[in-house]
Amino acid sequence: MEIHVDKDACVGCGLCVKDCPMHVYELQNNVSVAVRPNNCMGCLSCHEICPAQALEHRGVYPARRHYIDIKVCEMLRKVI
Amino acid sequence: MSAGYIDELHEAFHSDFAYRSEDIPLECSPKPKEMEQTLHGVMKLNGLVIRSLEEIAGRGANAVTYRAGKKFGHEVAKYFQKREDVEGALHELSDLLRGQYSFEVWKPEDKETFIIEENGETFIYLVFHDCIVRQTLRRNGLDQGGPLCQTLFGYVVGAIEEITGRKAKLEIVHTGPNACLKKLILK
Repeated sequence: MEIHVDKDACVGCGLCVKDCPMHVYELQNNVSVAVRPNNCMGCLSCHEICPAQALEHRGVYPARRHYIDIKVCEMLRKVI
Repeated sequence: MSAGYIDELHEAFHSDFAYRSEDIPLECSPKPKEMEQTLHGVMKLNGLVIRSLEEIAGRGANAVTYRAGKKFGHEVAKYFQKREDVEGALHELSDLLRGQYSFEVWKPEDKETFIIEENGETFIYLVFHDCIVRQTLRRNGLDQGGPLCQTLFGYVVGAIEEITGRKAKLEIVHTGPNACLKKLILK
């Protein structure tokens, strides 16, 4: 697993540090650093919780998403 | 109601398909791609049932759903080969759950084996990736880890008990939008 933290975007709130059960992140100089990327099991809660959207995971298995409404997505594509 | 509308309805429900009582349906009808509305309807209904159950029964809802899941696990797994080894049972279980849930056995990097002994208990970490329960909860804006998750717990525990004959317990360690970490405690 490769985890990239955008240092310019990270606001140092530490939410990812608190939320991760496997202690993948640590705050260093007010910026989150992925110190144990091999402990990441790809739940992506950190993505959901990060207010700055500063995280990127590579090599993660994307779970099937049945709950995405195709019709809503079609409408969104028209306006985005 | 106009006669035209009634004729239209009759037309819609009429076909030349010959249905014989001995016919065994071998595939879904219609194709799964055409079932999106049905799937969303089922997820919505499930979410509402669970929400109502929680409102009326409170914490008792967990016991009901756990029991239902456990019965389902025992029921499905009784047709599978009995094994004593937990790894083999988990393999059987992943076949059993295919299409509804997918999971992998997982360990933190500081552990050497998948079967971990800590504080007097023996357990295995399982990471659930694809999960119909998570999909349903997120579709309905419900919290993860509630009564609907208990059905999965019951299911896994029931199936493991049925396959290995050993008592087991499943605990949530963490829930996420893409995967959930669970602890299968062996007794």
